[in-house]
Amino acid sequence: MKELFPVPHVIGFVSSLLLSLIALVVIKFDLSFGMGMTILGVTAIIQACLQLFLFMHVGENENKTALLTNIGYALFVGLVTIFGTLFAMMWGYQMI
Amino acid sequence: MKIDHSLPLEYSTEENKLKILGFWVFLGAEIVLFSTLFAVYFTLQNNIGNGPGGSHIFELTPVMIETIVLLSSSFTIGLGIHAMRLGNKKAMMTFFGITLFLGLGFLGVEIMEFFTYVHEGATMQTSAFLSALFTLLGTHGAHVTFGLLWGGAILLQVKKRGLTPETANKSFIFSLYWHFLDVVWIFIFSFVYMKGMM
Amino acid sequence: MKWDEFFVTGEPMIYAAMVSIVLVSIAIPAGLTYFKKWGYLWREWLTTVDHKKIGVMYIIAALLMLFRGGVDALLMRAQTAVPNNGLLDGQHYNEIFTTHGIIMILFMAMPFIIGLMNVVVPLQIGARDVAFPRLNAVSFWLFFFGAMLLNISFVIGGSPDAGWSAYFPLASLEFSPTVGNNYYSLALQIAGIGTLMTGINFLVTILKMRAPGMKLMKMPMFTWSILITSVIIIFAFPVLTVALALMMLDRQFGTQFFAMQNGGMDMLWANLFWVWGHPEVYIVILPAFGIYSEIIATFARKNLYGYKSMVYSMVVISLLSFLVWVHHFYTMGHGVMVNSVFSITTMAISVPTGVKIFNWLFTLRRGKISFTTPMLYALAFIPIFTIGGVTGVMLAMASADYQYHNTMFLVAHFHYVLIPGTVFGVIAGFHYWFPKVFGFKLNERLGKWAFWFIAISFNITFFPLFILGLNGMTRRMYTYSESTGYGPLNMLSMVGAVGLTIGFILLVYNIYWSTRYQPREVTGDPWDARSLEWSTPSPVPEYNFAKTPVVDKLDAFWFAKKEGKSLTEEGDYEPIHMPNNNGQPFIMGVAFFFFGFFMVFSWWLPAIIAGMFILGTMAYRTFEQDHGHYVTVEEIERTENALRGEKK
Repeated sequence: MKELFPVPHVIGFVSSLLLSLIALVVIKFDLSFGMGMTILGVTAIIQACLQLFLFMHVGENENKTALLTNIGYALFVGLVTIFGTLFAMMWGYQMI
Repeated sequence: MKIDHSLPLEYSTEENKLKILGFWVFLGAEIVLFSTLFAVYFTLQNNIGNGPGGSHIFELTPVMIETIVLLSSSFTIGLGIHAMRLGNKKAMMTFFGITLFLGLGFLGVEIMEFFTYVHEGATMQTSAFLSALFTLLGTHGAHVTFGLLWGGAILLQVKKRGLTPETANKSFIFSLYWHFLDVVWIFIFSFVYMKGMM
Repeated sequence: MKWDEFFVTGEPMIYAAMVSIVLVSIAIPAGLTYFKKWGYLWREWLTTVDHKKIGVMYIIAALLMLFRGGVDALLMRAQTAVPNNGLLDGQHYNEIFTTHGIIMILFMAMPFIIGLMNVVVPLQIGARDVAFPRLNAVSFWLFFFGAMLLNISFVIGGSPDAGWSAYFPLASLEFSPTVGNNYYSLALQIAGIGTLMTGINFLVTILKMRAPGMKLMKMPMFTWSILITSVIIIFAFPVLTVALALMMLDRQFGTQFFAMQNGGMDMLWANLFWVWGHPEVYIVILPAFGIYSEIIATFARKNLYGYKSMVYSMVVISLLSFLVWVHHFYTMGHGVMVNSVFSITTMAISVPTGVKIFNWLFTLRRGKISFTTPMLYALAFIPIFTIGGVTGVMLAMASADYQYHNTMFLVAHFHYVLIPGTVFGVIAGFHYWFPKVFGFKLNERLGKWAFWFIAISFNITFFPLFILGLNGMTRRMYTYSESTGYGPLNMLSMVGAVGLTIGFILLVYNIYWSTRYQPREVTGDPWDARSLEWSTPSPVPEYNFAKTPVVDKLDAFWFAKKEGKSLTEEGDYEPIHMPNNNGQPFIMGVAFFFFGFFMVFSWWLPAIIAGMFILGTMAYRTFEQDHGHYVTVEEIERTENALRGEKK
């Protein structure tokens, strides 16, 4: 029975639950916008990495470089889409 | 079909390796798909028109239930893949079954949540903010629904055919999909709900 | 819904089109029955998973669409040739320029390129097929039925009429109440999913299925261009998927994304459209660059100058192509900061493109140039494309763009980029690889006649538009008064359009003539070329390579020829594993067609049934067990002997 529950998986699960609880801080305490977003960003990114490296086994694939390039490229395009859209459609009007 | 026994079953043939790589690339495309939906949501999140804003309709309890249920399902499918690598078909099927059951639970809570919103007069047609919210959540929910059908089909195949290079490959790819949905949910949890209630 | 709302009525040209559609749809089944070809069509084409046949089907579909889009273009030129012309009314003109744009970009340029890459890439890297042959067939049928769905719009329900970019609020239900833009959102969605799958398929194929020894930096340049194109497809098309889905929701489900009230933001559509749309430009241009690189190296008898800088410039283009989209709507009214940032990125992207132009010129320098038809297109491309590129830099300057925006100057610019770039590129590639697929060359004399007609008429058609644009003629206006003075240059443009038509008719006549009279090719390497696809016999057998070639450098086939070596290792043939043909992709495509059609008219119940059927085909597929088949050694020997003569 014990071999069915490997320690890294259990630790990963517990820490992802903990990180979700930490994120609750932003609504329970009166934080500044910047502080709140930082906490949310950090907890979300750590959780995503946990899933990626621990559960999705990115590291063990023989095409590790290709996989990481692929994810990196997707994040590049995704972030450019998000921040570029915000820049062009909202923030851009306040700048002279 | 050449089978390389030094590797886990899901990687053991050339075709299997291609499929796993191909699915990773597909997930790259999915990252961009959800990023675009997030871009739309962030752009429109304050455009509430005559409808309610996020802080009026978001409730913590269902969101926390959804989060814990989905995180747990991600954990159990991870255990399922671990059991599969140990060659333990029964444990693998149990973990996959629990995962799908949790997925169903998530979906149930989400549908309840949608009903509550609509009941409060916050429909997809009310404002641009709500259109974007429902579309982002709905796309994730549709992915979970598709996952339930797909996972169920794979579970049946494992039951019928046992753990072969083919079924192991399908199960592994399905687990990638499921973990990915969890990652998307983490970002929805943080940047839609938590940020909205901040 | 009444019948006269369902069918488009009241236009003599549309009635003629309906009659011809009915005649063709009777003639094709009748012909198939008479010649007893139903079985042949089903076994050899509709169910095929062979990358070469799929490529051929893509190219045939692209040629058909070229003529559909070409007729649209001719009608537009005819309408504007003289002032106050009444050939078309405003609505009909709107529909025609809209479908011309959609068809030429998405259903002509894209499938032509995808067709060529299907035929060539596996052969260039020494593979027996693509990574996912069945998925490849699904991609094709989704593209094909997406294209068909868009094409029936002009007789059933009405064509989209808000421009190929379908800007909101014009494309909203309020201002475009016909089902035309529903066709737009659904047909493009279906074809787009197919394209995304093609991108994934080719990325994996190129990364994982190269011949032993072919490192990434030893790949032919065309394969490199397809690798980069696939990457752009994979990361750009999901944005289109989302944009089209939101359009559908807005038009058919009452959401407020692009509405003008309730917090909607109409220009968000333009933003999303161009986040996809600008990378799309590079999706159609980079493969053409790859084709030119192959052709110029082959016919200059030199290795490609600056191989590494070619690769790096494409990588840089692939990243920068995602950073320039706002230049399509500089005049929207964002702050100076936004326009400045995107001006700079836009100008920056012309640098790697310039690097490539110089590399081609240096490849030509001191080469032994043979002026074949494909080479003529490549040589004409360089100066004409440069005009398109330079006017592009003019448009890139945001402040100047306020003057050029939405004028004929812009129309001239993008035709100067897309026609010498993409269209010349695919025609050159078509002539170049034609003997590989069919076993004979196209006639050179007819080919050159067609080339001169196309190259000269192109400039006569589009150069006047630069001047018209600078004189203030806006795009998409269906007529103008004589006092504007636009008449003579528009008439000149019409003359050019007629010349282009003659050129394309000669091109098709050449296919017919060559099929009947050209001598058959026996060497498999008619151009004395450099890359691996020319080491196979023509036409290529189903399994491509009887023995997997082993490669140690770029242009290994060229050096092996010069040194009289063999690229394969000694030894007997081994059985070759190949995928089985299957009819499911075709059936799935048909189901998607009906799903799309029912969705267009918001017929929910039939749409749900068709949607369930699609899910059913997926379920069937997952439970199916299909391990392909083996080609036996005797069969390989028989085929190889027949194709190569006595040589083993």
